[in-house]
Amino acid sequence: MSSIPSPIPVLSPLRMQRHPRVVVVLTVVLLFAGGGLMMHAESQIQVLGLLAAFLVTFAIADRTPLGQEIAAMCGDYGGFANGVAFVCALGLIAVFHGEHYTLLVLATVALFSTACIALNLQLAFAGMANFAGAAFFVLGSYTAAVLTAYSWIPHPLILIVSGLVTGAIGVILLLPVLRTRGHYAALVTIAFGLLLRSLLEVNDTLGGPQGMKIKGFSVFGLDFNRMSSIGSWDVSFYLPYAVLSISIFAVAFTLIRCIERSWIGIALDTVRCDETAASVFGLSIARWKVVAFLIGNAVIGVAGALYGMMNGFVTPNGSGLGDSLLMLSIIVLGGLGNFWGAVVAAMVILVIPEKLQAIQEFRLLIFALLVLAILLFRPSGILPRPTRDLSRFIGPPGADA
Amino acid sequence: MDPGIIVQYLFNGLMLGVIYAMIAVGFSLFFGVLDVIKFSHGDVVTVGAFSSLGAAGLAGGLVTLPPVLALASGIAAAVTIGALVGVIIGRVLVLPLRHAPGVNVLLATLMAGTVLREAIRLGVPNGGNPKPFPALLPGGTIKAGSFSVGIDSVMILVAGLLLVLGTHLLITRTRFGLAIRAVAQDGEVARLSGIDFQAVVLGAFALGSALAAFAGCMLGLYYHEINFNMGVLLGVIGFASAVVGGLGSMLGPIIGGFLFAGVQTLVVVALPISSAYKDVIAFAAIIILIAVFPTGLIAERRSERV
Amino acid sequence: MNAPLLACGGLTMRFDGLVALDGLDIEVDKGETVGLVGPNGSGKTTFFNVVTGLYKPSAGSVRLDARDLFAKPPQVIGRAGVARTFQRSRLMLDQSVFDNIVVGALCRLDLGLFTNLFRRRRWRDELSGMVDHARALAHRFNPAIADRLFQPAGSFAMIDRRRIEICRALIGAPRLLLLDEPSAGMTHDETRQLMDDLLAFRQEMPDLAVILVEHEMDVIRRVSDRCVVLNFGRKIFEGSFDALIANSDVQTAYLGVSQ
Repeated sequence: MSSIPSPIPVLSPLRMQRHPRVVVVLTVVLLFAGGGLMMHAESQIQVLGLLAAFLVTFAIADRTPLGQEIAAMCGDYGGFANGVAFVCALGLIAVFHGEHYTLLVLATVALFSTACIALNLQLAFAGMANFAGAAFFVLGSYTAAVLTAYSWIPHPLILIVSGLVTGAIGVILLLPVLRTRGHYAALVTIAFGLLLRSLLEVNDTLGGPQGMKIKGFSVFGLDFNRMSSIGSWDVSFYLPYAVLSISIFAVAFTLIRCIERSWIGIALDTVRCDETAASVFGLSIARWKVVAFLIGNAVIGVAGALYGMMNGFVTPNGSGLGDSLLMLSIIVLGGLGNFWGAVVAAMVILVIPEKLQAIQEFRLLIFALLVLAILLFRPSGILPRPTRDLSRFIGPPGADA
Repeated sequence: MDPGIIVQYLFNGLMLGVIYAMIAVGFSLFFGVLDVIKFSHGDVVTVGAFSSLGAAGLAGGLVTLPPVLALASGIAAAVTIGALVGVIIGRVLVLPLRHAPGVNVLLATLMAGTVLREAIRLGVPNGGNPKPFPALLPGGTIKAGSFSVGIDSVMILVAGLLLVLGTHLLITRTRFGLAIRAVAQDGEVARLSGIDFQAVVLGAFALGSALAAFAGCMLGLYYHEINFNMGVLLGVIGFASAVVGGLGSMLGPIIGGFLFAGVQTLVVVALPISSAYKDVIAFAAIIILIAVFPTGLIAERRSERV
Repeated sequence: MNAPLLACGGLTMRFDGLVALDGLDIEVDKGETVGLVGPNGSGKTTFFNVVTGLYKPSAGSVRLDARDLFAKPPQVIGRAGVARTFQRSRLMLDQSVFDNIVVGALCRLDLGLFTNLFRRRRWRDELSGMVDHARALAHRFNPAIADRLFQPAGSFAMIDRRRIEICRALIGAPRLLLLDEPSAGMTHDETRQLMDDLLAFRQEMPDLAVILVEHEMDVIRRVSDRCVVLNFGRKIFEGSFDALIANSDVQTAYLGVSQ
């Protein structure tokens, strides 16, 4: 390793090896700073510049030995890196404490990334194609709308209940096609997504095409929507939403990571790769498909609920097939099975088109072509799924990732 | 109820059924030869509709053509371009990806469908809105009691039925059809027997896509209006028809197509709800029918070496 | 006379018009290795698929000890102590060797959501035990596999992948092991190595019953206690290897009738 030449003398490999945690911190901070700038940027030139910078960074990480080593270091110290990432996200929120739009974007990216991690659980781990991701997301919002309007359930509990309701509906949908081949389940999810959207638009019980209003989140008397200052600082009312969003992301991330790095994760992979072998070795295919679908949709429902509460309303728009495909595009682009890849891809697919007015119209077309290119030429996406290495868990306690 | 209205509904239902059947046959063909679901198929219908609009409009713009020739050029354009699109997608996307996990092909063809849709929306002037389709068929109506139907409608229906029948005959009576059935049963063995696998597969794609494109043309002539979104719904219902009828068979998708059309028509006639719910019923029917017949009315043939 | 471990009586398997197994009677005792041979298409793999529950047999009986396993789902049969390898290698090549091996024992581990998520210390203990177990097992076949237990399975050569598959089948401490052409795709030397490995672990698991499907007669001769020959789904011979070689029915089945 020490024989790798380094273009930047101060980043000599030996120095890096001696202070791996410093390297990790610097890398994560740099990435988040770039992301924050991207979310905050207003001029198209800034956005294009940042995009170029990211592409260069990615090329370095992918192609040069130095970049690969830094990437490997971040992987080895994965738990530490994740912790630093959480702190950086909080830092971004602190830096942009008064910026409505930036915080809204941050919260949106966090919530959609949460939903995409759940899709990863279903698709990348359990091999189940869910073409109704956006429908389940909107279902979570509608559940929150109904519960905030017609019940006195405390709002944190409403998030959980929305998740459970969404998860349950998903399982009911799945039951008939559990023992059949994948494309039947795919068809059922496509049909469900279209059904939900049509029903919500045609029927006025839940507001019809205008949708429903949703009360803002409040807990212990603290109403998020009324927050305008913390101490002597003026803050945007989106700040508490941003904090809650990244917390939900962190919880979902940890939950699904834990599932992957456990016996359940191995069971899911086996069911995905080879149902014949899985059944011969005693694994119930139906059970594991239900578990993945249930947990995945429940997480999507929670994210959707908070998203609805943050925006103050929900409409059938955003639950269509195109939107579900967009979510699947995010995880394919980011790399099936890679959670941070999904975050990066969410930034690309959600944020950039908002900033670059010129390509707004062509958004769907460009992303469709991008996904096609990825599927044909680099199917593992931007970041490949890290190989599960359970040896990390054996040894002194605290070596947990 | 006025018998005239009933017959009207019946006619509509038959029309829908033929359209669904034509699209469903394509899905079944693709699945038969390559074991893949080609989700861009619905959007090929849209391509066909807009191609025929373009050709008929173009031809009509350059020279004052009698409607018959405009119609012919429209149909020719639709079928050719539709078949071409089907073959290109097959060659560039489906064939290279057929060994990857099935969900990759699903996703890829869904994206390809999106590309087609968006290309039409962006490429055609004012593409985001419904476009009127010229009336190229002879006017006039047939009357029988209180029931009247346009001659053009009858012509369209007959054309559709003939095409479906023709495809069935092609698959069962010609050498090409035999090659398709051979490849559908066992690609490896067919290859070993000297059949040009790729040519047959692409030929099947061309056939299915041409049918779908023609259906698009028919839709334009019947409803006098087309829009860039029309393929999404039709693709889903066509796929569902093929699944419920039985993927891989010829008869299954046809039965499935008429079944869906029948359900849609019946519910709208029998229940006092507005026709705005037509789509909702269709999707609900899909979910229920798949729940009841998970492997199709005519079971999918599938074997895996253990 | 001890009751046999596996007893199949009158086992019949029909696929539409084709009769793949025709009234098959096979018994295997504890600790026995039975070599199952026969020309292609004679029903050997079909027999395995029926015993492991992947196919639902048309008639007959299958018993493991006293337990009726006829037409039971594969999960039930697997948990009852029947393990197998496959003709075509079926590993998860992207996953680590350990992950692949432990699949064979997953149904006996704690698969509850609560334990796996919230009682991590308990799960880590279970993990530790399984890693030691897997490592010891792999070491017996090839120390190199044991050293690289957490590398992707795809990074190993075919013979090692077969060994990994066998480890996967053994880690659940099965009572009956079905090996389907373990030597397929390997050279003579590799095959001999594999058979040496098999004989070695045989001694450590004396109660394990093994049915081995093979085309290589050398393997059958070295490893099996008794041989059964199938043709067109029917048993046409049962006995020692030497008797098998001399038997004219077997010769006819493989070579055709001599004029």
